[in-house]
Amino acid sequence: MKKLINDPFDMVEEMVDGFLSANDDIVRRVGRRSIARVASPIDGKVGIVVGGGSGHLPAFAGYVGHGMADGAAFGNVFASPPARPVVEATTAVDSGAGVLYLYGNYAGDCLNFDKAQDQCQEMGMDVRTVVLNDDVASAPVEQADRRRGIGGLFWVFRIAGAKAEQMASLDEVFEIATRANANTRTVGVGLTSCTVPANGRPTFHLEEDEMELGLGIHGEPGIKRQKVAPVDDIVEAMMDMILGDLDYSGSEIALSVNGLGGTPAEELYVVYRKAREICDANGLRVRHKNVGEMVTALEMAGTSISLVRLDEEMSALLDSTVNTCMYKKP
Amino acid sequence: MPTLTGDSVRLLLDQVAIDVESNKDLLCDLDGEVGDGDHGVSMTIGMRAVRRAMDDLAPDPSVEQAFQAASDAYAIEVGATIGPLYEVAFAAAAQACSGKADVSSVSDWVQIYQAMFDAIQQLGGAELGDKTLLDSFHPAIEKLASLEGQDLVPSLEQAAVTARQAAEATKELKPMKGRASRLADRAVGYQDAGATSLAIILESVAAFAAHVRS
Repeated sequence: MKKLINDPFDMVEEMVDGFLSANDDIVRRVGRRSIARVASPIDGKVGIVVGGGSGHLPAFAGYVGHGMADGAAFGNVFASPPARPVVEATTAVDSGAGVLYLYGNYAGDCLNFDKAQDQCQEMGMDVRTVVLNDDVASAPVEQADRRRGIGGLFWVFRIAGAKAEQMASLDEVFEIATRANANTRTVGVGLTSCTVPANGRPTFHLEEDEMELGLGIHGEPGIKRQKVAPVDDIVEAMMDMILGDLDYSGSEIALSVNGLGGTPAEELYVVYRKAREICDANGLRVRHKNVGEMVTALEMAGTSISLVRLDEEMSALLDSTVNTCMYKKP
Repeated sequence: MPTLTGDSVRLLLDQVAIDVESNKDLLCDLDGEVGDGDHGVSMTIGMRAVRRAMDDLAPDPSVEQAFQAASDAYAIEVGATIGPLYEVAFAAAAQACSGKADVSSVSDWVQIYQAMFDAIQQLGGAELGDKTLLDSFHPAIEKLASLEGQDLVPSLEQAAVTARQAAEATKELKPMKGRASRLADRAVGYQDAGATSLAIILESVAAFAAHVRS
């Protein structure tokens, strides 16, 4: 294992320290593993708290700032945070207008965020939750409640965050987050494994000429291991899975190509080129797009493609400005 | 017969923590086959917190206080799925020992293990056969319950052997909970990491009790 770390068990702590000092114009510390926007709580605004394991930056803490989230909790690498930092973030961002939790659908996150929600509600805060599950490959469509949350998280954070910024009510922000999640689909592909620092060895092994289709963002195996193919063929297979899962026809869409941490931007643009071509060929109007690292898996090589079926309101919300720690749009 | 007081339990949990950490790589490897490869890391983080908590306990803690401190350590430090599960398990163990000066009989440990099992099952919602730690825990508790009235050390040892065998038998099961559940058929053939760490804990408890006796 070659990594820029000290003691691997200290990595998260040291990362949080660096993250806070690098972004001290946008966020402040509210606990050992929790942050909030400098100005929070913002009068009358619904607070959005995101979080999950470390190892996914810019998700989750990187999205705290104007136009996306108000607070975040850091877990250990690939492990949900305990309830405490979630409670700390919630308390810091609650203006009285209520708080919405947005996180990916994993057993640990559900347990810990639910516990935090219970504790905050006992303290009199109004907290609701939308669990995100955009990963087509992780369960069949009729078992969508078992699907994982991966690269499409970005769009739900954007849409819900923009709505909250307009001083919408908790009901309204909850509703649009639910709608955005229901209309978002993602498929990932992994080319290499990654190494959890405190483990020290790669999580799994792929041969030099192999890739894993449907791979999760923690190195969980996908649905099919196969030989690496030309990227156009890979993108076609990914887009087939997405377009076969949700009817996008005639809709405006948001399209994103996400890097998993170890794939250069150049390759991501090659992926985007083909994904866009397929969208155009299917008559989908690509209104919003993003190419880059949005939800990573440490240094894993690979990508995920996300498509959001937009309506007028969601599309308009995506025109708004964003200024978060790791994503900015004028 | 060993007498396991609150201070013994403090030392016992310290030893359990050492034994779990020494199996970190094995537990990560098992988890890496079907999950995200961090079970050994999460357990190590939790057990290191347990060791610090045992160090920080006031002298001569009650049995209840020692277990409760382990619960608090998991609650604050771990997260993941295993954090809340061991948090409630150790809290249930603490409750089961409330008012007891020592836990030196088989029936004391049946109560402790059963309370932990029930708490984990209630929070996690898994059924037997879902390929979780319940699948090594349950047969071990049944074994121990069948030995009530007998010497503690050999009884704990037999329960630990049962847990180890049951952990190995999880290879045949399809996962229904956690990340591995999304693989289902592909995970058959791999031993469950959580069932294995539970077996390691029971082995460590048995070894500690044997050590106290000698």
